This record gives sequence, structure tokens and C-alpha cells, in this order.
Amino acid sequence: MIKGFLLMASVLLLSGCAVKDVQPWEKETLAKDTMKNGAGNALMTKFENHIYFSKEGSKGGGGVAGGGCGCN
Amino acid sequence: MRSILLTLLLSPLLFSYQQGDTLSQNIQDKLNIKEEKIYIIDFFASWCASCEKEIPYISKVHQQVDSSQVEIIGVDVDKKIENAEAFQKELKERGALTFRVVNDPENSIIKAFKPIGMPALFYIKDKKVIDAVFGAVDNIDEVIIADLKRLQK
Repeated sequence: MIKGFLLMASVLLLSGCAVKDVQPWEKETLAKDTMKNGAGNALMTKFENHIYFSKEGSKGGGGVAGGGCGCN
Repeated sequence: MRSILLTLLLSPLLFSYQQGDTLSQNIQDKLNIKEEKIYIIDFFASWCASCEKEIPYISKVHQQVDSSQVEIIGVDVDKKIENAEAFQKELKERGALTFRVVNDPENSIIKAFKPIGMPALFYIKDKKVIDAVFGAVDNIDEVIIADLKRLQK
């Protein structure tokens, strides 16, 4: 009983160490151009995307989807 | 033990409106939902490009539907009220926003609905959530009209 209680208490306390999820309505800062690859500079964006997509082996997903809405 | 873990896992869902849930009196008051008609709640923000794209289409629906049967309410979730007002003013000036908007700078309304993405549309009938559409959808006006036909049956 005590062991179970301690386990539950530690599980609940550990959740305090977790990173809080960013909710869809909290993505204002993430939607800014400065938060994207290249920070809004067209040339740097192209350059950084080239490296990122080469390393990932796929294209897309470099920014917050759907214009910063996280909707797609 | 198993039920406690399940509750913990599902807790984010337990505190948001699901299909069939009745809106609390507080939310009804904030949105000024009084009649027994269909309400469409559109959550948007100035920084959400997809929301901005959808608003003119939703305004088009607003002009087409019978206001005694269906009402569209926008909820602007911008935390800075000046951003919200500037955004809405700009939309109104170009005739892209024709429905009424409730500002939600404290995000108290959207936190009650907890949509999984934005833009988010919730259909309310008899003060109950009956359906929802999340994310950017092409030709959202046609989607809403089709949904209304289905929901009004």
C-alpha cells in the first residue's frame, strides 16, 4: 500500500520535470519569421533548408505547419 | 492502479469539450449564446496565416445563412488586445470579416474547448458541441454549408 502510494507520488512529481506542451493557441512566438530556418533572410533560409532537408532525407516540416497554427 | 494511470493519460481530454458536451454557463455568457439555434465558433489569431485565409470564406457563409437559424461567432485568441483589434480592423476594411468577434486575450474560452489545431471551428446546437473542424481546410465555406445541411436534419 505504502509502496504503491510512493510510486504514484513519485510519478506525479516526475511529471513536473516534463516539458510543457505548447498548445495550438500558444504558437504566436513560434509562428514568427525569426523562429524559422534563416530567420526571415531568404538566402539564409534557402541555405539552411538545403542542409536540413539533406540531413533529414526528406523535404518540408522546417517551420510551424499551417502558417504557425500546428494544424497539419 | 490501472484506472488511475488511465485517468492521468486521458486527463487532457477530460477537461475539454467533447462531442455532446453542454457548454458551461460561463462560456455561454462569454459567447452570448442564448438561443436554441446552431452557433459556429471560429477560433483564430492574427499570427495564424491559415486562420486569416479562412476568415473571408467563413464571412461568405455568414452572409449566405439565415441568421435566425445559424450564427457565426469569431473568437480572437491574441494575447495582445491591440494586435487583435488591428487585425480585425484590417479584415473589416477589406470586407473579409462580417461576423461578430469576441476577444479572448486570457485564452479562457479556447482553454475550455482545447482544439488540437488552429484554425478551429466548433458547431454548437442546443448549447451542446455537436461537431468540430480543425486545421486549414480548402474551400471551408463549402465544407461548412455541407456540415450545416447534415446537422440541421
